[in-house]
Amino acid sequence: MFGRMNRRYDVVVVGGGPAGLAAALGALDSGVSRVLVVEREPEAGGILRQCIHAGFGLHHFREELTGPEYAERFVLQAMDRDVDVVPHAYVTGLAVDSSGHRLVRVLSERGGLSTVECRAVVLAMGCRERTRGAVRIPGTRPAGIFTAGLAQKLVNLDGYLPGRRAVILGSGDIGLIMARRLMLEGVSVAGVYELMPYSNGLTRNVVQCLDDFGIPLHLSTTVTRIHGRDRVEAVTVAPVDETGRPDPEKSWDVPCDTLLLSIGLIPENELSESLGLALDVVTGGPKVDSTLATSLPGVFACGNVLHVHDLVDFVTEEALRAGRFAGEHARQLRRPRDTIQLVPGANVRYCLPHTLSTDRSHTIYMRAKTRLAPCVLRVGNLLEKRLRFVVPAEMIHLTIQPELLERFYEDRLQIDLVPVDGKGAP
Amino acid sequence: MTETTVQHYVCISCPIGCPLRLVHEGDQILEIEGQECNRGAKYARQEFTDPRRTFSTTVPITGALYGRLPVKLSAPLPRPAIPAAMEAIRQLSAEAPVRLGQVLLRDVAGVAGVDVVSCRTMDRVTM
Repeated sequence: MFGRMNRRYDVVVVGGGPAGLAAALGALDSGVSRVLVVEREPEAGGILRQCIHAGFGLHHFREELTGPEYAERFVLQAMDRDVDVVPHAYVTGLAVDSSGHRLVRVLSERGGLSTVECRAVVLAMGCRERTRGAVRIPGTRPAGIFTAGLAQKLVNLDGYLPGRRAVILGSGDIGLIMARRLMLEGVSVAGVYELMPYSNGLTRNVVQCLDDFGIPLHLSTTVTRIHGRDRVEAVTVAPVDETGRPDPEKSWDVPCDTLLLSIGLIPENELSESLGLALDVVTGGPKVDSTLATSLPGVFACGNVLHVHDLVDFVTEEALRAGRFAGEHARQLRRPRDTIQLVPGANVRYCLPHTLSTDRSHTIYMRAKTRLAPCVLRVGNLLEKRLRFVVPAEMIHLTIQPELLERFYEDRLQIDLVPVDGKGAP
Repeated sequence: MTETTVQHYVCISCPIGCPLRLVHEGDQILEIEGQECNRGAKYARQEFTDPRRTFSTTVPITGALYGRLPVKLSAPLPRPAIPAAMEAIRQLSAEAPVRLGQVLLRDVAGVAGVDVVSCRTMDRVTM
């Protein structure tokens, strides 16, 4: 029930976005009945509520939905299946009592500070946007500098326009989507500037959000200075060399009153850090085993808090599994321990989970370091799969069947992405 | 007799993004090249003859948790009709409660079968 919070649950989920809602449903699927979702915002649904464009659900529902529509399907299911959702609430800490129960400290608008007892916790706090500080743009500190997602919230939920003439730094999908959104609302977009020699967004978004509106995309170019005392008045942009160093000789100024930053996302792990969870320096999220359990027993993680996804459909898939494993843990069902370490090899930036067991099938998520087309995905000497292309912006997912690991007796399994014709090709 | 002209497109059917080249004489398509699969040719033909787009925006709503209601088009609209559609949507407003899929405007910009519909449920909230 929305707004209800009892003293005892089987599973407590931290965060009511797409990951948290799917984790709650996954927990119910595993056979537990008492699930609480703790949500910071006034309602569940998370970031999807402000992602009003279409493009969600093609994998999970086999139809194209807008963000709010995708979110609403999960909110309705959670309500129908009697999940408790407490809004305006934070989890401030977690402890374990002598009988092995987890004690979750919840600070909520209505209940003040209270302690909720449960057997398993799922972390689903999502991620945050990188800010100006993360890329150290020199210049003044005027009003008018927004992360793209914050501007999206202002426009789509609150109905405010961030300015009249915008420059967008970073060509990730949020930046491209916001370029179109601002144009439709009558804000002019002077250009999108991308440090890398290629766009980080989907081709579809480059075509439909920039080309359709005549917005120029400047590759290998970045913002090197912000001007203006009270409000942004202009930014200086400059082309960069192969190492990413800007060339001040070739710089030019772009007048604008608004700068949107779409320069990446980082898992929001303040709580994970305070719990002392082992974190992966590459993903920025917790290290997890094949049940998506973190280094702290009974604490699971899924969604963007674990690693930043590009499609919500995969968040849903991962979170349903995390919820199921958390529910099993709450019911004190135990699975065999993982015995194999999964490690990233050639051209693999990271792969998850960090360990595998030999008793069941596994879903593995990974990201490439660079673009390769075509290439071969190699899992130790167990499996080779030809892929038409890999790009860093697109997560690769792979399912491993248990038969594959049946006769695997080593303790380390390496994943490589190698060019078909190049060095190390099969 | 009209001259042959070339149009360039980037295919959006998948992330490969094949650069497409469409040769035409007036309305007559003579050749499409650059595609790695047949979805490319289909895309180029559609873009040349009748490019369509869909988009989302918001309309003001009163009596709800937030001041804006997200809306979308029920079907893609011919690209040239987008500014007229935006202008028509700008005149709209809603009052809570609104349910998901509720039609706020039929046949937007005079295009039959393309409606403006709500993307979410917005309950009535008493402040």
